[in-house]
Amino acid sequence: MDRLYAQRCIGCHGLTGKGDGPTAAFLPATVPDFRETVQRRSVTQIRNIITKGKGMMPAYGPALSGREIQDMVLMVRFLSQLDRSPKWWERFEPLVWAHCTVPWEVVLGYDDPPEEDKR
Amino acid sequence: MIRRPSSTVGFALIASALLGAPRESMAHDPASPTAAPEAERHQVHAVVNDFSLTDQAGRPFRFQTLRGKVVLLTFLYTTCSDVCPLLTANMRALQQSLTARERQDVYFVSVTTDPEVDTPSVLKSYADRYKVDFSDWSFLTGDQRSLEPVWKMFGVKVERVARGLINHTTLTALIDSKGVMRLVYLDAAPDPKRMLADVRGLLGQQ
Repeated sequence: MDRLYAQRCIGCHGLTGKGDGPTAAFLPATVPDFRETVQRRSVTQIRNIITKGKGMMPAYGPALSGREIQDMVLMVRFLSQLDRSPKWWERFEPLVWAHCTVPWEVVLGYDDPPEEDKR
Repeated sequence: MIRRPSSTVGFALIASALLGAPRESMAHDPASPTAAPEAERHQVHAVVNDFSLTDQAGRPFRFQTLRGKVVLLTFLYTTCSDVCPLLTANMRALQQSLTARERQDVYFVSVTTDPEVDTPSVLKSYADRYKVDFSDWSFLTGDQRSLEPVWKMFGVKVERVARGLINHTTLTALIDSKGVMRLVYLDAAPDPKRMLADVRGLLGQQ
């Protein structure tokens, strides 16, 4: 998960998701801080952005598996929590995976139901 | 094979001779800076041979049909998260900076380095996100066998790391209306103002 983030996301979104990656300074658009965007979106909305892209952000749907996209969603949501960084994840990942058998959506807290499910 | 009119030396050799063994900038290469210095702009003189690929609408595309236009050609892949977005954004800025009259004589070409992922429809979606005007800009793909000679002709090294993750030489070429490559930019983010001046310089020579 953190490998995927390092390979595909860190250049723009930065180590902690603040939008301060090394590439961000050269972009003609501002890279948002996950704490201000991811927190306001449902899992489905985040997954759609990662899958289909948005603006200058690549669409990873054609390149990555569903599981990899899901891992990206998890990582992005994780980083959107204040003061968390990949170092936190490195420390607690084994513990989380060893003891967690419930769906990851539950671990991170439920979102509002996706738009399509409200109908 | 790109060659100078008077020889059959490949572009890579020409570049080495002209540039003094330049440091190549590779997308996704951790050792490469995000933005190379402006000095990564080099004059060359090499004929670009014809090639055939497929554009973002799935139509056949022949480079030869651009004869008579100044062409700005670059290499990218759609899931690139560092250099390619900068290249595309800069090219779009340049496209918008040209006057309507100038745009009749200029054409933009983006060639994928990842045919495994970048189908015509994927390229179309990518370009749409940048609000590209396709009237004078084509995004090209093809099978590996069709693309490899094109990469090689421009001296672009392509190395697949994983699906949708490619190391490739960062290169943008400015080609004159006679099909002769006149400038190459090895910067990760060539200055659009500098490129605009170069394009207008070639237009003035027509």
